[in-house]
Amino acid sequence: MLKTILMSSILLLGSTLHANEYIHVVGSTTVLPVVSQAATLYHQQHPDIIITVSGGGSGVGIASVIQGTAQIGMASRNTTAEEQAKLEGKVDNIVIAADAVAVAVSKAVYASGVHALSVGQIADIYRGNIRNWKEVGGLDARIVVIDKEASRGTRHVFAEAILGDKHARAKGASIISGSNNEEQAIISRSNAAIGMLSNAWLNDKVRGIAIIVDGKLISPTIEHVRDHSYPLARGLHVLLPKHAPQAAQKFVQFLLAKQGQTIVQEVGYLPVH
Amino acid sequence: MLMLRPSMLASFVWLGCLTAAFSIAVLLWFLWDNAWLFFQQFGIQTLWLDEWYPYENLYGFLPAITGTAWALLIALLIAIPCGLAAAIVSSEIVSSTWQAWIRLSMEVLAGIPSVVYGLIGLWLLLPLLQSQLNLLTGHSLLAAGLILSLMILPTIMLMAQDALQGVAPEQREAAKLLGLNWNQQLLRILLPQAWPGIRSGILLAVGRGLGETMAVMLVVGSLDRMPQPFYNILEPAQTLTSRIGREMGEAAFGSLHFSALMACGLILAIVAVFFSFSAQKMRPST
Repeated sequence: MLKTILMSSILLLGSTLHANEYIHVVGSTTVLPVVSQAATLYHQQHPDIIITVSGGGSGVGIASVIQGTAQIGMASRNTTAEEQAKLEGKVDNIVIAADAVAVAVSKAVYASGVHALSVGQIADIYRGNIRNWKEVGGLDARIVVIDKEASRGTRHVFAEAILGDKHARAKGASIISGSNNEEQAIISRSNAAIGMLSNAWLNDKVRGIAIIVDGKLISPTIEHVRDHSYPLARGLHVLLPKHAPQAAQKFVQFLLAKQGQTIVQEVGYLPVH
Repeated sequence: MLMLRPSMLASFVWLGCLTAAFSIAVLLWFLWDNAWLFFQQFGIQTLWLDEWYPYENLYGFLPAITGTAWALLIALLIAIPCGLAAAIVSSEIVSSTWQAWIRLSMEVLAGIPSVVYGLIGLWLLLPLLQSQLNLLTGHSLLAAGLILSLMILPTIMLMAQDALQGVAPEQREAAKLLGLNWNQQLLRILLPQAWPGIRSGILLAVGRGLGETMAVMLVVGSLDRMPQPFYNILEPAQTLTSRIGREMGEAAFGSLHFSALMACGLILAIVAVFFSFSAQKMRPST
């Protein structure tokens, strides 16, 4: 009797395990809000598909796909030559949205009159040549310069456009942050911070400033991403291995379809379809 | 009730012991094997260089080693006196009810996950340091040291308390019979007698402090640069563990960057093993 119960429970366990399919998505915390909302919706429509989404940054997302520890990777930057060599022919790199990397400042800085900076001024801040907000027309306070972990997609895009190279050093950095969340928290708690943040993460305490290009002020909005005038625009990618399970491929199609693209818009990015 | 023959029990004990020894050996071998590529290319002198830019193939260890040393030193400077004082109070002064409560609270303190300490640091300690010391954000080696001190306090306190209670009653009675006052009893009899146990507690705490990653990573600022000047503990800095935590996800398995991070791990492991061995050595042989 005991044996039968034991056997049937094992069979039951086996069959439930078999019915559910698991997809693990890892990478950029910029892409994460879109994918996690889409995953929730997708799970409601397909209860047997369980999707787990975690952050770590674009570099982690790309590395996870290369090493096969995730079924889908998320990246908020283009792959480097080194990464591309490992991905070539094995992984599809799909753009699901576009976005602006905003130069974000603390509310107090914005209120003191810093509404726009030129690329040169921002570069000088990150190189350590400008150290006080008063030098660019703001309040008298030492600038808290927030740099990001070297692997982060946002940093690649920012450093390439502002400092000229995606791996450029930022001598003026006073602190290193990781995820968008962490960076947003530091900026909102400080009265004198500057950082780089996806425009969907801006709020009342974390203000995006305009960038001065050829004398024109270009603010980090979706409209300026659409007309290609904003210098810090980028695509948001998902990386799908060619041999990925059917369920993973279907989920990526879902991201590109109407429902997925609606979520892209709701989060605050520019849809691609 | 399962009956065990003495020989079977002995083999179980041996099996357990060998498993433990084997895992330690595998761990050290793994670290060494992976760090070897790095030391082969850069040599041991890279430990004294102060620039860490993996993308430019610059792997200087000095800032992180300095940061680790400072964070640990601050933690010990606070936790040793506090832990010892708490142990003395609970074992020598208060009633046994209070003693049980103090012990319980220390055990709770020891059981809290490190990420919780990190979040406490992030939301309570950093704003406090920022406003009181007029710092940029509060992220600093001081913050890391303060959080660490809280985390290693239970180890030091519990070990010291056990050591104090382990002092033979005859010794206490003899001290009282000699007419020694409380200060003399404590300083001449109890602390010297309990010292080996207290010392082991401190060395264990050193091991824990060296290896702590999550809590330190959240409050230290992760800025891989030498503190200017080197004793400046009020600016963001980097520790070996926080560097590993921040960069490991991205480093491709087998790459030079990965190997360099393994070298960080190897250094920590060697120092920890060294301290553990000293803890063993210094224990009284009886």
